[in-house]
Amino acid sequence: MGKYILKRLITVIPTLIGVTLIIFLFQRLIPGDPAVAMLGEHASEENVARIREQFGLDKPPFLNRDALVEGDLAGFFDSQYVRYFDRLLHFDLGDSIHRRIPVVDTIKERFPATIELALLAMLIALIVGIPIGILSAARRNSLIDGVTRIGSLIGVSIPIFWLGIMEIMFFSVMLKWLPSGGRLSPGMTIEPVTNLLLLDALLTGNGPGFWDALKHIIMPAIALATIPTAIITRMTRSSMLDVLQEDYIRTASAKGLGERVVLFRHALKNAFLPVITIIGIQIGSLLAGGVLTETIFSWPGIGKWVYDSILGRDYPIVQGVTLLIAVVFLLVNLLVDISYAILDPRISYE
Amino acid sequence: MKKTTVFAFSLLIVLSMVLSACGGTATVTEAPTAEETKTEVPPAEETKTEAPAETEAPVSQKDTFIFGRGGDSVQLDPILVTDGESFRVTGQILDSLYKFEQGTTNPVPALAECTPNENASVWTCELREGVKFHDGTDFNADAVIFNFERWRFTDNPYHFPSQVFEYYEAMWGGFDENSKITAVNKIDDLTVEFVLAEPMAPFLANLAMDSFAISSPAAIQAAGEAYGTPTVGAVGTGPYKFVSWEEGTEIKLVANEDYWGEKPKVKNVIVRVIPDDSARFLALQAGDIDALEQAVVEDLETAENDPNLQVLTRPALNTSYIAFNFKIEEFRDIRIREAIAHAIDKQGLISNFYGKYGTVATNFLPPLLLGHNPDIEDWAYDPELSKSLLAEAGFPDGLSEVTIAEDVMDADGNVVYTAGQKIPLRLYYMPVTRFYFPAPKEIGEAMAANLNAAGIKVELYLEGDWPTYLGARRNGLLMGLYMLGWGGDNGDPDNFLGYFFGNAQEPVQMEGWYQNKELADLLDLAVTLPDPEERAELYRQAEQMLHDDVARIWLGHNNTPLILSIKVQGYVPQPVGAENFEYVFFSE
Repeated sequence: MGKYILKRLITVIPTLIGVTLIIFLFQRLIPGDPAVAMLGEHASEENVARIREQFGLDKPPFLNRDALVEGDLAGFFDSQYVRYFDRLLHFDLGDSIHRRIPVVDTIKERFPATIELALLAMLIALIVGIPIGILSAARRNSLIDGVTRIGSLIGVSIPIFWLGIMEIMFFSVMLKWLPSGGRLSPGMTIEPVTNLLLLDALLTGNGPGFWDALKHIIMPAIALATIPTAIITRMTRSSMLDVLQEDYIRTASAKGLGERVVLFRHALKNAFLPVITIIGIQIGSLLAGGVLTETIFSWPGIGKWVYDSILGRDYPIVQGVTLLIAVVFLLVNLLVDISYAILDPRISYE
Repeated sequence: MKKTTVFAFSLLIVLSMVLSACGGTATVTEAPTAEETKTEVPPAEETKTEAPAETEAPVSQKDTFIFGRGGDSVQLDPILVTDGESFRVTGQILDSLYKFEQGTTNPVPALAECTPNENASVWTCELREGVKFHDGTDFNADAVIFNFERWRFTDNPYHFPSQVFEYYEAMWGGFDENSKITAVNKIDDLTVEFVLAEPMAPFLANLAMDSFAISSPAAIQAAGEAYGTPTVGAVGTGPYKFVSWEEGTEIKLVANEDYWGEKPKVKNVIVRVIPDDSARFLALQAGDIDALEQAVVEDLETAENDPNLQVLTRPALNTSYIAFNFKIEEFRDIRIREAIAHAIDKQGLISNFYGKYGTVATNFLPPLLLGHNPDIEDWAYDPELSKSLLAEAGFPDGLSEVTIAEDVMDADGNVVYTAGQKIPLRLYYMPVTRFYFPAPKEIGEAMAANLNAAGIKVELYLEGDWPTYLGARRNGLLMGLYMLGWGGDNGDPDNFLGYFFGNAQEPVQMEGWYQNKELADLLDLAVTLPDPEERAELYRQAEQMLHDDVARIWLGHNNTPLILSIKVQGYVPQPVGAENFEYVFFSE
């Protein structure tokens, strides 16, 4: 197992290089210049040229063929990508073109907010989705099953922005129970430890802080959890149904085991493999795909930030965050694979 | 099995408890800023009034003004930026030598009072006495000179190579020897003298711009390149001091008790980013913010009918227009341009898409600017006249295809369009909403319908997203009719007419290859005249020339709306420059 994990970790490296190449290429295929995007209607020839030069955007994206023709080998490699890669080796993601602050700093500030929201959404999805999925499968074609199936269908198809706006309208404007957006009330502070506010508030024993943070996160977390909850419910249900048809389940029931034992001891473990896969994919997309939720609830995560950066052609930010999400995604997938082996001893990676 | 059900139920209960968490127990009392989020008001106080009771907070508790906006500031060093969201904040922290009088575009003294010599080429400025920067250092002649020299000289140690001082270049002609300010001399500690290369009528208007606000030299020396970033903020002499900036979220300011002008009435200001237009409006309705800019039309209507809200309008300093690309053979015939002008139902477009906030434009200059020409008689909406003009120009069956007049190249020198090539007649619509074009795609569609009715068949054309669109415009590659607009920077007519049509450094492709030497010379003269009336006369002539030449079709001016809580008083929308938050207070 140790060897397998090591092997997997090593294969992460070429994958990441591939990710940097692809994102670099795709960004430059979109027409539109970062300098023009930044300067807007004011863009003058000189300023555009100056910004391009400063950020090395006047260099060719990958390799400089003209320099090779002239026999200038150093010039051949003097390209945007090589410069970027060189910085990357020094753990430098570069500076934002528009704001001129290191991308790393902003990631440090914003990524925890996204992680916190994604984790809570995932938690909600798991503690709602799995029990309901199991129940629905065990009581197939009952009223509960019907409600679950319709509910999960609504869940996957509900537009998040609509749901978010409805939540705000109901809980903030009408009932005035919850704040309409943001992460904390003005004036409230929570001493940073992990930058996951709920966790930090608990760690530092900050009761009011925890309560305030919870009131801010609950609406976006529910909005973000809707789709994964529905997907996990459906997956758990169908996977359980498959397993419940197996001979060994009938055998277990036939020899007189109680329903609970059959469901949880015998069925669930086997039904869980496909669910784990889905969870892995969902975590990845929760981290990357919170743009709408973050926008509606002014949640200070990376979603909206990256979206704006793509529109503004702020290449270093898009590259940095894509890389980060790729790393997280690969790690989550690795964890998923490892958990297979734990859940099903027949699976071996040696 | 039962366990599962119990678990699921208890989960639901926990969730609903969390959701129904009424704020009674949660007090944010640690806050030095007794903020007023309605959820935090103890229930006992909520009952004291009727009607919209929950939104009421005692005036003594309300010492934070929260402004909601769609995007964050880019930077707080005002010389580095050109965006309104940056100036909205720097305008509170820093003062310029002049400022714009409340609600107008008139420059009036702020940190200085300047008098010109007889031809307005040397200005002597008396500085305000006893003013200190927020860091405690003195505001004086040295501070003014430090700032201007930093901006002007590219080899100044604080003119960092990574920084673009865009507005200095745009408003003062360039850096180093190109700068129209050729010297800033210290006469004494509280007097400086600006020497200009040539007389410059918009001198005071330029001084009043938020970009040319005076920063503390000590702060710039200490922070270096980081001055103006979220960790450092900015240090000026303004009514509010910088407290913190959580990027993408909010900027906090606190009142400067030693402010030289009218003391700020509200202790704290928070400028908060709420990206979604609807969510921002809901936040205002929920009382989480006190004011906002940019709302969707439906929300504006709701706001007008909501007794807890008020809608203010900012006098328009902007113009939307349709431009011609003069590389198209047919557009070089004035009859065709006239035909297009007569085909567009401006009034219809304005009433449908700008609502009551828009006015029809007949000039490039908005009505509140010097030189606006009210005598221009606009092209009447007359599709039949359009058809006959087209027939006269040799297109009795209408126009749907146009001819490229000469080769057009992109920035890299590749030929994109060749002479004689036929292309469909396009109407490029803007891919984003700007303050001067509220719903560009829909307006584009309506215009296409107008044109179609007059026999001018246009293909609605999307040239990528905003940066792509601007890039193509800059290279003169929007090959047809295209939509764009302009918002003024300093409330001076030169910033509209001179910037677009003067003999500037800008290549003509940026303006659809439009060239008019006579007009350009006139505008170059106008900017040097000290007498406003003389200037106004020239700008009125310029507007008439643009109209007679059908150089462009001016469409509308948009008086942008702001929505505020009814309790916010003293807020005056500014046509140019940042609004002055120091006058804001809350009524009971």
